[in-house]
Amino acid sequence: MFSRVAGVVALASLVSCSGQIGRSTDSGPPAVDPILAVESGARRLSQAELDNTLRDLLGEDSAPAARLLNEDEFRPFDNDYTIQQASEALITSLEALAEEVAERAIGDAGRRAELVPCTPTGGGDEQCFRAFLDSFLSRALRREVTAQDIDAYMPLLAFASEDNAAVDNDFYTAAQLAVTAALQDPEFLYRVEQGTPGNTPGLLELDGYEIASRMSYLLWASMPDEALFAAAGAGSLESPQGRRTEALRMLGDPKARNQLHRFHSMWLGYRSIPHSPELVAAFNRETSALIDRVILDEPGSYLRLFTMDETFVDDSLADHYGLPRPPDGEGWVSYEGTGRAGILGHGSLLAAFSKFEDTSPTQRGILVRTRFMCENVPRPPPNVDADQPPQGAMDAVCKYERYAEHRDQSSSCASCHSLVDPIGFGLENYDVAGRYREHDDGLPECVIEGSGEIVDVGNFSGPAELSRLLVDNDYVDACAVQQFLTFALGRPASSYEQELLQEMVESFRSGQHDFKAFIVDFIASERFARRAQERL
Amino acid sequence: MAMKINRRAILKGMAGAAVSLPLLECMLPARQSAAQSAPARYAILFAGQALGCDNYAKNESRIDGQSVTEGGHFIADTGYGRGFALTTPLLPLQGMENDFTMVSNLAIPFNASSSDGSAVPSAGAYRDFHGGGCSPLLSGTRSTSPSYVCNGITSDQVIAELNAGQTTHRSLVVRSQPGFYVSGYSFAGRQYISYGPGGGSGARIEAQASPQVAYRSLFTGFVPNGDEDAARFDFEMRARRSVLDLVLEKRARLVNNLGRADQERLERHFDEIRDLENRINALPPNVGGQCSVPTDPGADPPIGGDHQGGGSGSVTGGSGYSDEHTRSRIFADLIHMAFVCDLTRAASLQITAFQSHMNARPIADGLGTLPGTTRPARWASVGGDLHEVGHNGDPNNRGQIPSAGLLQWHISHYAYLIDKLRSTPEAGGNVLDNSVIVFTAEAGHGLQLNDASSQNQTHSVENMVMLMAGRAGGLSPGEHVNGNRAHPATVLISGMQAAGYQGNSLGDVSL
Repeated sequence: MFSRVAGVVALASLVSCSGQIGRSTDSGPPAVDPILAVESGARRLSQAELDNTLRDLLGEDSAPAARLLNEDEFRPFDNDYTIQQASEALITSLEALAEEVAERAIGDAGRRAELVPCTPTGGGDEQCFRAFLDSFLSRALRREVTAQDIDAYMPLLAFASEDNAAVDNDFYTAAQLAVTAALQDPEFLYRVEQGTPGNTPGLLELDGYEIASRMSYLLWASMPDEALFAAAGAGSLESPQGRRTEALRMLGDPKARNQLHRFHSMWLGYRSIPHSPELVAAFNRETSALIDRVILDEPGSYLRLFTMDETFVDDSLADHYGLPRPPDGEGWVSYEGTGRAGILGHGSLLAAFSKFEDTSPTQRGILVRTRFMCENVPRPPPNVDADQPPQGAMDAVCKYERYAEHRDQSSSCASCHSLVDPIGFGLENYDVAGRYREHDDGLPECVIEGSGEIVDVGNFSGPAELSRLLVDNDYVDACAVQQFLTFALGRPASSYEQELLQEMVESFRSGQHDFKAFIVDFIASERFARRAQERL
Repeated sequence: MAMKINRRAILKGMAGAAVSLPLLECMLPARQSAAQSAPARYAILFAGQALGCDNYAKNESRIDGQSVTEGGHFIADTGYGRGFALTTPLLPLQGMENDFTMVSNLAIPFNASSSDGSAVPSAGAYRDFHGGGCSPLLSGTRSTSPSYVCNGITSDQVIAELNAGQTTHRSLVVRSQPGFYVSGYSFAGRQYISYGPGGGSGARIEAQASPQVAYRSLFTGFVPNGDEDAARFDFEMRARRSVLDLVLEKRARLVNNLGRADQERLERHFDEIRDLENRINALPPNVGGQCSVPTDPGADPPIGGDHQGGGSGSVTGGSGYSDEHTRSRIFADLIHMAFVCDLTRAASLQITAFQSHMNARPIADGLGTLPGTTRPARWASVGGDLHEVGHNGDPNNRGQIPSAGLLQWHISHYAYLIDKLRSTPEAGGNVLDNSVIVFTAEAGHGLQLNDASSQNQTHSVENMVMLMAGRAGGLSPGEHVNGNRAHPATVLISGMQAAGYQGNSLGDVSL
C-alpha cells in the first residue's frame, strides 16, 4: 500500500501498465524558478471567453463566436493556448463576426448611447470621436490607451464626413468602423502579457491592467468590469492585499459562479452529457448548487464536494433518483441509506463517460483515474478495436462476464484494465442516468454485485465509499489543485513546475481545503503578478 | 491528344504502394492540350464513413429484423469497364455515368505481424484505424501513430501550390460538419483533410465551417451593377481596407516587444490578416459569362448540440445534426462558382469528419425526400449516429443496405457538384471538362486494420473505393476500374497530374 504518498508525487508515476506517461514537450529548464514566476504566452480568447467579452463590452448576447468560429478543442479545458493556431478560416470568420457585431451594437440606439459618451455635433466631430475612442478602446484593449492608439483610429472619421450620395453616413459610421477594427485587434483577441523586467533576470512584473485581465478571465471568463479597471488604474492590483480585495468582490458576482460551474464541468467531464435537455438542466442545477455551496455559500472544506451527505433536487429529480421529495418543491434532501455522497452521486457525473448506450466500467474507471486522481491512462494497444463493446465468451450475457477478457491475467489486457474496470464495476449499481439498479438493464438474471476496487488503495461499493477512498488517500485535493492550475495557466504544468504544484497542494491542505480562500491566495500570491518569458 | 491507354492499364500495373514504374509518355494524360484554354481545377470531397458494416459481407444486410441477401448495394458491386450498373450509393450519379470513373479494390499497406509504429511500411497505415488511416489515404505518407495527422501535403494542396499567385484564393477548404457531437469529446484532429507542404500538425489547414463566412470571403469582392450600388460598394470596400490597415499598422509596435514564442503566434495572426487584405485588394473578379455572384445563403443553419442519447435507440432528432445537408449543398454551390469565376483552382470539402458521429437519423429518415437522394427498395430507417451505424448500432437495421443509403447521401453532394460543373459552359465545353473531382470515404471494407484478422470489417483499409469525375488533362471517365490493390494515392496522383501536376508522386507513393 502506498496510499498515503498519493498526491502530486504519485501523479506522474502510478500507472504500472505499459504506455507513455506524462508530457514530453518540455524544452528545457525555464529561465526563472516557477516558484517565483510562471511562464505565460499570448492566449487567444476561447469561444466562450470571446462571447462573454462581447456581452460585457457591447451588450452582444447572441453568442456569435459559437456560431462563426470553429469549435475549441477541450483538453479537457477549452483554453489550451499551446494548440491555438491562427488560420485563414479564423481570420475571415473574425472579420465577419466583427462587422456583424459592430453593426448591431452601433445600430441599436440604446447600446450606442452606452458606448458613445457624447452627442456628436456632426459627422466630423473630432472631439467626440476622440472621447468615444478613449473610453471604448481602453475597455476593448483592457488597458489605458495612448494618444498614439487614438490617433491610429482617427482616419476612420473621414468615413463619417465624406460627402457621398450613395451612402447614408454619419458620425456613427465611423464609430461602427472603430468597433469593427477593435474587435479584430490582436490586443483584443489575445491576452498579450508583457510586463517589465525587475531585479531577477528573466522575471517580468505585470502592470495593473495585465493583472486585471488575468483575474477577470480566471474568475469570470470575461473582461474586467469598471471597478476592476479602476483598481488597475489606481495601482492597487500590484499589491497582494489589493488583489485579495478585488478577488473577493469578484467572487461575489454571478459570473464567478458560472465560471466555477464551467471549470468543474470541463474538468469532471460532464459539460455535455447524453440526456434530454430537461434532465441535463436538472442535473446541472443539482451539481451547480453543490459547487456553490461548498465554495461560496458555506465556505469551508472543498472536500464536501465529494462527501456531502445530501443533494439539491426538485420533485422530478427526486422521483428520478427515488429520493424523498424536498419540502417546497426544491431543496436539499438526505442521501442517507442510498450509498451516494457528493458529486459522484450525481446524474451529471454518472452519465459522463458512458459508452455503447450504457455505463462503461472501463470508461468510468478512466474518468476516476484521469480526472479524480490526475493519472494518465494509456490508450489501448493499436490492435484492440475499442469501437466494439467487449463480447466475453460466446454465451456471455451479463456485463460482468462480457468484460471477462479484460480480467484474463494471461492476456495483455489485464495489466491496464485491472486499474480501471474494477473502479467502474463498483459504480455499476448506478445506471447511465444516475438511477440505482439491481441488475443489468433489461436482464433480471444479471444481478449486479456492485463491489469495486482501486488497486492498491482499497475496496468500495458505490459513490459514497469510492469518494471516501479518494478523499482519505489524498487524491482529489491534489488533483483539484492540478486541474485548477492547468485551467489558470491555459496549459498543463510542465515537469519543471511540479514543485510549484506541490507547494500549492500543501497550501490548499494547510488551509483546510477552503477552495475560495485557495483561489484568493492564488491570486494574491506574488507570482500571480509576474511572468516569465516562454522558451521556444 | 487525349490519353491512349486508359487508367486501368496503369493501375493494373501497380504491384503495391511505393513501387515506381517507368511509364511511357503515352500513358500519361495529355497535359497541355491546345484546345484547353481554361485552367484545370481539382477538388476532393470526403465522407467520414465506411463502405459497409462490421461482420456483414457485401451482399448481406438486416432490415427490419430480417436477414437479406442481395447484391448491388456495396458501392463497387458491379461489373468492370464501361457501362457498369449504378449501385445504391451511386444512384445520385444517374445520367452522369460517363462523367466519372470508379476505381475499386484499392488498399493501403500495413504490417500484419507488428502493430508497432516503427514497423509501418512505406505509405502504410498505423494499425489503429481511424487515426492511422488518414495520412496514407490523403497524403500517401505512412502514419506511425494513432493521431489524426497527415505527415505530408495533401493532393488538393499540391494543386493549390501549383496555382499559387494565379488566383485570389489559394484554395477553398470547407467542412460541413461543424461539431463533433459526442458528449465530453472534441474533434481532436478529425476535422482536417487538407495539409500544406511537409504535413504535420503545423501544416494542417483549418477548414471554414461556416457557409455564411465562406460565401462572404469568396463573393464580397464583386462590384455590383448600377452606379449607386457601385458607389456604395466602393465606400464599403474602402472602409473595410481602412479597418484592416489600422489593425496591421500596429503589427511592429505590438510584436517587437514580445518574446519569441508570442512573436511567432502573433506574426502568424498578422500574416493571415495581411493575406485577407491582399485578397480584398486583388483586382475584382470579372462577373460575366458564366461567372456570377451566387445567391447569399444567409445565416447558417443552427449548430446542433451533442447527442442527447448514447446509441442507436436514443440518438434522436434535435441533436448531433446541424443540417449538414443544406451546408454541403451551399459549399458545393460555392466550390462550383469559385471554379467558374476562377477564384481558386483547388478545393476540399469534408462533408463529415473522420469517425463522424453525425446523427444519421435525419439522413436515414429523409432518404428519398432529401433532394438528390433515392430510397433503396429495401430500406428501413436506421438509428444511431454515422459511426455507430457502421458498427451495427441498430440491432434491426444493419449491414450493407443501411451503410449504402448513408453513403449515397454523401455522394448526392458529389453528384450535385458534378452536375453543376458540367452544366456550366466553358471554352467550347463545360467546366467539368476542365476539372478533376475526387470522392473518397474514410474506410474500405475487409480485413480489419486493428487486429489484422477479422473479415468484413469497417475498420479496414482494403477494398477502398475512389470516384474521379471530370475530363481535365484529357481524362476519359466512365469506367469502373479494378485497382488490384493499388494504393488509393495512385488515384489521387492521376487526378493531380490531370490537373497539371508535373510530378508523379504523392508522399511515399509514386506512379
